[in-house]
Amino acid sequence: MTAARLALRSLARHPVRLAASVAGIALALTLTLALDAIYTGVANGLTAYIDHTGADVWVSQAGVRNLHMVASWLPDTVVDQVRAVPGVTDATPILYSTDTVAAGDDRGVAYVIGLPPGAPVGGPWSVVDGTGQPTAGGVVVDAAFARRAGVTVGGQATVMGRSARIVGLTEGTGSLVNSVAFVPFADFRAARGGAPVVSFVLVRVAPGAVPEAVASAIEAKVPGVTAMTGSAFSAGERRLVMDMSADVIAIMDGIGFIVALVVVALTLYIAVHGSRHELAVLKAIGARNRVLYATVLAQSAVSVAAGVAVAVGITAALAVVVPRTGVALEPALTLASVARTAAVGGAVALIAGVLPIRDVAHVDPLTAFRRGGAPA
Amino acid sequence: MTTTLAIRGVTKQFGHGATSVEAVRGVGLSVESGEVLLIMGPSGSGKSTLLSIMGALLRPTAGTVTLNGVAISQLPERDLPPVRLREFGFVFQDFNLLAALSALENVALVAELTGTARAEALRRAGELLTELGLAERVAFLPDQLSGGEKQRVAIARALINDPSVILADEPTANLDSSNGHEIMRTLRAVAKERGRSVVIVSHDQRIRDIADRVVWLEDGQLRDLMTMAVDPVCGMSVEHDRAVTLEQGGELRFFCSRGCRAEFLGELDGPAETRPARTGPLASLFQAVRPKTP
Ligand SMILES: Nc1ncnc2c1ncn2[C@@H]1O[C@H](COP(=O)(O)OP(=O)(O)O)[C@@H](O)[C@H]1O
Ligand SMILES: [Mg+2]
Repeated sequence: MTAARLALRSLARHPVRLAASVAGIALALTLTLALDAIYTGVANGLTAYIDHTGADVWVSQAGVRNLHMVASWLPDTVVDQVRAVPGVTDATPILYSTDTVAAGDDRGVAYVIGLPPGAPVGGPWSVVDGTGQPTAGGVVVDAAFARRAGVTVGGQATVMGRSARIVGLTEGTGSLVNSVAFVPFADFRAARGGAPVVSFVLVRVAPGAVPEAVASAIEAKVPGVTAMTGSAFSAGERRLVMDMSADVIAIMDGIGFIVALVVVALTLYIAVHGSRHELAVLKAIGARNRVLYATVLAQSAVSVAAGVAVAVGITAALAVVVPRTGVALEPALTLASVARTAAVGGAVALIAGVLPIRDVAHVDPLTAFRRGGAPA
Repeated sequence: MTTTLAIRGVTKQFGHGATSVEAVRGVGLSVESGEVLLIMGPSGSGKSTLLSIMGALLRPTAGTVTLNGVAISQLPERDLPPVRLREFGFVFQDFNLLAALSALENVALVAELTGTARAEALRRAGELLTELGLAERVAFLPDQLSGGEKQRVAIARALINDPSVILADEPTANLDSSNGHEIMRTLRAVAKERGRSVVIVSHDQRIRDIADRVVWLEDGQLRDLMTMAVDPVCGMSVEHDRAVTLEQGGELRFFCSRGCRAEFLGELDGPAETRPARTGPLASLFQAVRPKTP
């Protein structure tokens, strides 16, 4: 405790040096933390539909485990077969395709969902204007997209090559890469030539039924399908992004670690050399070396902890500020990401704190008697 | 009085071969409790080296250092920090307070290093500083204190663990004469009132009057222990063999200078204003041999 207090006082004595080193550490760690938050935000956007649509089990064409990058086509006879599986309360077929939505001057990629009338799941979850149930010739689009395009309910949009009337605006359905648009199931089918197929069957299970068990039952009873719980389906989707970003994040972690280590090690080196005389005095009056080591280590720990805190603060602030600038991205700071950064910081603090031990050990207490020491 | 610290046959050699320096050669000394020992000598004579050896900061090349009957010069290095912490109190020329800590914390820190709880350490530090007349300065940083105040804080720091021996290296060298005197009186009081041994190293002549004993170090060797006498005119302590003497009525008197001796003779003669002016080096000599006039 004495060492910790000494460390704090020594740091406080050189506020500029402390600020510079904290800023350096914070900057190095913010790079990774912010990048991770952005990836997480993208993944959140990507899985928003799966996470919010309310299905307990997703039934797709056999082998299809993602919404993205693959197409799932099932004959529509599958819907009744799924509905007949014990534990299934309702089964809602949806059509799904990645397409473009255009309105006004704006044009963007959208997941287009073909939604049957009165569908209990699969529709938008937060409607800010109009209706969430698209009617014939209508489309429900993302509110942020509509704002950018300068259209509102009653306006026109082009979706799947056809003109449609905007009947509703939704929230939480936009991300940096895409938005979600809802059209009537029949319109979607007609636009695709009227084939009797569905993309997915969204299932809700009976109260008390276990989604995993129901999913297994569906796979056992209905041929040619893959059934996954909503959370497993979402996790798979998320992995698409996170697998891609994991390497980048690891590299950034490495760079952050090295930069932070250099900053802390250098500042501590300067601090130890600047306080050689005081260290000699402490030794002369009987402080054990380990008290002095602890003081140096505590200085390292305090600087790094402050740097981590600032980095987390900056990233948290980014997460709040970025969406307000109109960018369709909500960087998300996760506990796992903070924990990883803290671990990197811990390693930095430890290594940087141990490096000057030799220097401290070599300080000769006799130099306390020599002139030209600290002015105090 | 009991002997607290004794050194015997202590020699310290720095370096080897042609460039080696023998800073201390065969020195023997002991200090009693309640005694103020002054080690004097010219610059480079080995005073600081000797003090460092006495304080277990430096191992002698030969000889032993015994503290309260324990041969501390024989202890392994790892056992020395607690000895320095609890048995010795160091006072330095440059004060050497930690700039980041207040006066109170500088003193309390040394108690905390022994494991004393912070509250208790602060309480004792406050008491000591108050005793040393620094009650109003406890919260000040060293930079905000005068030299004399800093040195008093350093003395409080040296005292807080109630050590057997206080070792002071040129404690007044950075102080003006009135502050220097104040510090010396304080160190003397530490010896007399607390029964501590106080060893002071200095080449400052002004310090002599507070010492119980003065030893002279030159070229690392002790010259014969000098007996001190008090100049009856100015009150200064003087060494017998360096003093100006006057034999009168079978009694030998010692003076710090011929001027004092002359004044002594003059006072015997009559009122001061009737005495001739004493100017020039020969004037006092003249006066010293001036025949008595009725
Ligand atoms: N660490 C050292 N290495 C080499 N020589 C030293 C060292 N410390 C002191 N000396 C030498 O020992 C002699 C005595 O030094 P010191 O004890 O500092 O004298 P003082 O305090 O009387 O001025 C000097 O000649 C000095 O140069
Ligand atoms: Mg010296």
